[in-house]
Amino acid sequence: MTTEREMVDTVTITVDGVEHQVPAGELLIKAAQDKGTYIPRFCWHERMAPVGMCRMCLVEIETPRGPALVPACTTPVNDGMVVDTKGATVAKAQEAVLEYLLINHPLDCPVCDKGGECPLQDQAMSHGPGESRFVEFKRTFEKPISISELVLLDRERCILCARCTRFSEEVSGDPLIEFIDRGNHVQVNTFPDEPFRSYFSGNTVQICPVGALTAKPYRFRARPWDLEKVESSSLFDTAHPRIEIHTSHDVVLRFTGVDNDATNHGWLSDKARFGFQYISSDDRVLVPLVRQDGEHVEAEWNEALQHAADRLGMIKDESGGEALAVLGGAQGTNEDAYALSRFARQVLGTNNVDARMDDALASHFLAATVDRARINDLDTADTIVLWGPDLKEEHPTLYLRARRAAQDLGVELVVVHPRANGLDDRAGHKITYRPGGGFALLEAFGRGDHPEFDAAVNGKKVVALVGMTDLADGPKLPEAVAAYLRSKAASCKILPLNSRGNTYGALDMGLAPDLLPGRVALDSESAGRLAGHWGQIPARPGRDTRGILEAVVAGEIRGLVLVGADPVRDVPDSALVAEAFEAAEFVVSIDTFVHDSNRSADVILPAATLSEKDGTVTNVEGRVQRVNQIRRPPGQTRTDWAILEDLSALIGSPMGLTSAETITKEIAEVAPVYAGVSWDLLEWDHRDGVVLPIEGPAPLTHIPVMLEGHGAPQAEFTLHAARVMYDDGVRLRHSPALRKLAPGAIACINPADAPKLGAREGARVRLVTRQGEGEFDVVLDEGTPSGVVYVPLNQRGGVSLGTDPVVRVTVVT
Amino acid sequence: MSVWSEEVQERARAIVARYPEKRSAIMPLLYLAMSVNGYLTDEGMEEVARWVDLTPAQVLSVASFYSMYKRERTGKYLVSCCTSISCMLAGGDDVLAAMEDESGVPDGETDEEGLLTVEHVECIGSCGGAVAVQVNYELIEGVTPEKGRALVRWLKEARPEVVNTDEMQTLFGSRTSFDWAVKEEGGAVGPYPAFQPLGTVRGGDE
Repeated sequence: MTTEREMVDTVTITVDGVEHQVPAGELLIKAAQDKGTYIPRFCWHERMAPVGMCRMCLVEIETPRGPALVPACTTPVNDGMVVDTKGATVAKAQEAVLEYLLINHPLDCPVCDKGGECPLQDQAMSHGPGESRFVEFKRTFEKPISISELVLLDRERCILCARCTRFSEEVSGDPLIEFIDRGNHVQVNTFPDEPFRSYFSGNTVQICPVGALTAKPYRFRARPWDLEKVESSSLFDTAHPRIEIHTSHDVVLRFTGVDNDATNHGWLSDKARFGFQYISSDDRVLVPLVRQDGEHVEAEWNEALQHAADRLGMIKDESGGEALAVLGGAQGTNEDAYALSRFARQVLGTNNVDARMDDALASHFLAATVDRARINDLDTADTIVLWGPDLKEEHPTLYLRARRAAQDLGVELVVVHPRANGLDDRAGHKITYRPGGGFALLEAFGRGDHPEFDAAVNGKKVVALVGMTDLADGPKLPEAVAAYLRSKAASCKILPLNSRGNTYGALDMGLAPDLLPGRVALDSESAGRLAGHWGQIPARPGRDTRGILEAVVAGEIRGLVLVGADPVRDVPDSALVAEAFEAAEFVVSIDTFVHDSNRSADVILPAATLSEKDGTVTNVEGRVQRVNQIRRPPGQTRTDWAILEDLSALIGSPMGLTSAETITKEIAEVAPVYAGVSWDLLEWDHRDGVVLPIEGPAPLTHIPVMLEGHGAPQAEFTLHAARVMYDDGVRLRHSPALRKLAPGAIACINPADAPKLGAREGARVRLVTRQGEGEFDVVLDEGTPSGVVYVPLNQRGGVSLGTDPVVRVTVVT
Repeated sequence: MSVWSEEVQERARAIVARYPEKRSAIMPLLYLAMSVNGYLTDEGMEEVARWVDLTPAQVLSVASFYSMYKRERTGKYLVSCCTSISCMLAGGDDVLAAMEDESGVPDGETDEEGLLTVEHVECIGSCGGAVAVQVNYELIEGVTPEKGRALVRWLKEARPEVVNTDEMQTLFGSRTSFDWAVKEEGGAVGPYPAFQPLGTVRGGDE
């Protein structure tokens, strides 16, 4: 893949006697590495600015005044540069640097987590002097100290390369760790009582070139040489950052970040990094459960499947496929989603399918917007407009990439958001508005009330990151914003945002009432085209999640199939969900855990999860990548597609799916934009994935429309309810390290509003909206504007306040 | 929500306004924070962090790099004796020992009353007038062990509100590195430098 950026001038350098053509201006350490010569280093990291602190990368170059030792990490290449990386002078310099670095290093490698994968250990062996002339006592520190809930620091091991402190300042933008003190006393530390509470803290553990920073969930769990590894993609982030899964004795022990130039640049959010503990949770559903006399009892697979097939088949025979519905499918692979989509249409005979939980944008806009942006487009835009969720909370990879674009690449960033946003400090313009007042603000833009916004957008090359800022404005606003920006900008690329796992893959597989696989709108023509593969399927669009739930309450839908879905927690209108689940005649759940939504399901079929299955997934920019199995599915768990295949056979309409790979092949045949996708392609030619479509235009192109919205709500307080990184979602709830990081049921108010309400920090308040009510602990928060109450969604207790932004606040204690 | 009085905040605003980048104001603001509490408290560093839009950790990183930012309470008089090369050759260690002996305060510590802190410092730029001593950063050159003892006794007995370099030079100094010419009328009022924008200068014509 050749991009414009790669077509640059080259210069000729000679490294260890071999001539190379390398890009002009590149750092010597990088140029040499790309040509196969690895220069040892500790402080230099490809994704951060060079500092030249550790001196390990000293090499000899020829200068007009004779040969000179220079650090390769701060020296740009010049035409005709002659470099020696291995000669006697260089070796002696490297030995000296290592001897110095080891003066205070404890050499406790046998008990150090890093031992076996430690750059200091490796380079001490390859470039070190072997012996030290220093006989003095080494400096010691209290060990280890906990600098956050997730990270431990053994200061005596630190070699002061500043990778961690630079990462926190340059990359993630939360410099809560720093060099403290001076000279022989320098140490990395936090401010007293202000821990390293960063959503990206785990990256510092991965890039630490010694064992100074270690991750609590991994510490003392394994030795690196005992680990089995496989590359995969994380579903805790819709950019699907590349990860490596590490297991020992079939237990997943950690995820590490893999550098994908198109997405994560090697970084992971702590949720993507440490969100693996649920996989080995004792609470996993490991055997099929069937409800008898109000209790779940363990059952054989054939009993449970037969029971589910009988009841689903019966409802279909009696009331037709429209009496059945499927919810979920956004947490699995594309192959699982495809099987589910086909199962619904072909086997159940219904288009009542939805992977969205009534909190997302329109399916055609999400799946098939015109001019869909790639993540890399952020780097080359004139202006990035973020009018959507707080990326730091919901889209951590996009957050890091947008941050980098605005901070290092000179891209103008405009943030439109109802409260403080993680990117505020890098935003050229920040426009704050009252929750629910989005349409009114958009009208104001149209009238020219915000000239600074116009200046940043009009006639510019814009990338629009649009999504739901909260529940108040509804799903129409982001599409209207995209339409508005399209009408003003010279060019506008769009990323419509949704934060759930593999939503984009699920929609691409047709898990929406008006979509079929491959970004195809559902109509009689497209349904007819599928007949060759799926047989006759209903051609009229079905109901979406809200419609399904309402139809269940009305008795029109009798049976529900839930696949990795927890609508009780995720659908904003909790009263409707509760009523629907009360009214549902028969519920089958394919899931990894028992949770609020399947607690009274008639059948629960135990499912395999990430690391236990092979397949493909599709990210926010439409990039398809592989996920890989490394571990045996525990107990009697099985993949979704295999469960659905058995059900289809028992209902009497077998789909004939035989393996994940053959499903991928079937998808490539059936789903137009997936033509050309194969495991070979993703494993060999495009390890970093490939953006679809590979060949030909997409069959469906949705042009955002300027929809009409409601006016700004008039109320003393309006509610800003938004998702945050750590919530009480099913998988986080069963991941002990992350579970305790959730903020809990809190309501943030501006300190200026506190006296008015008679509330203080820690007080308990009751919030009442038209759709719900609950009690919350008050947090005084400067980031929340006066007149706004900010509530993180889906916290312990699971209180939902619905979508109406008008909220009444009363103090309880 | 500042922890500083309106007067201190006014000074802080004036200091921040001197620089094109907020964060450049960090060092004078740290002195300002010291002048509020007598030393640099965690609370003071957090306040500075808010003024310059940095995290407290970044402020601590700067504060802990420089030895003149005292993160523990010092005495009313901070007596610093230079022991770097020139002063050492001229007897700096003897001057320090004499002052430790006279005050009963070991190097780097503070007496129980909170009156005197005695410390050795690295070069303070008065090599020509070695041995150099500072009281609250007001300079005295050409100090001998005897004069050092006299200085300590004077501080204990006279307890001046303001210490002034010219006055102390006359009383306890001798050879100077050059003719200072300009008379310093004002002096320091606490264990931090006398600097007009910080409001830490008193005496003289002010």
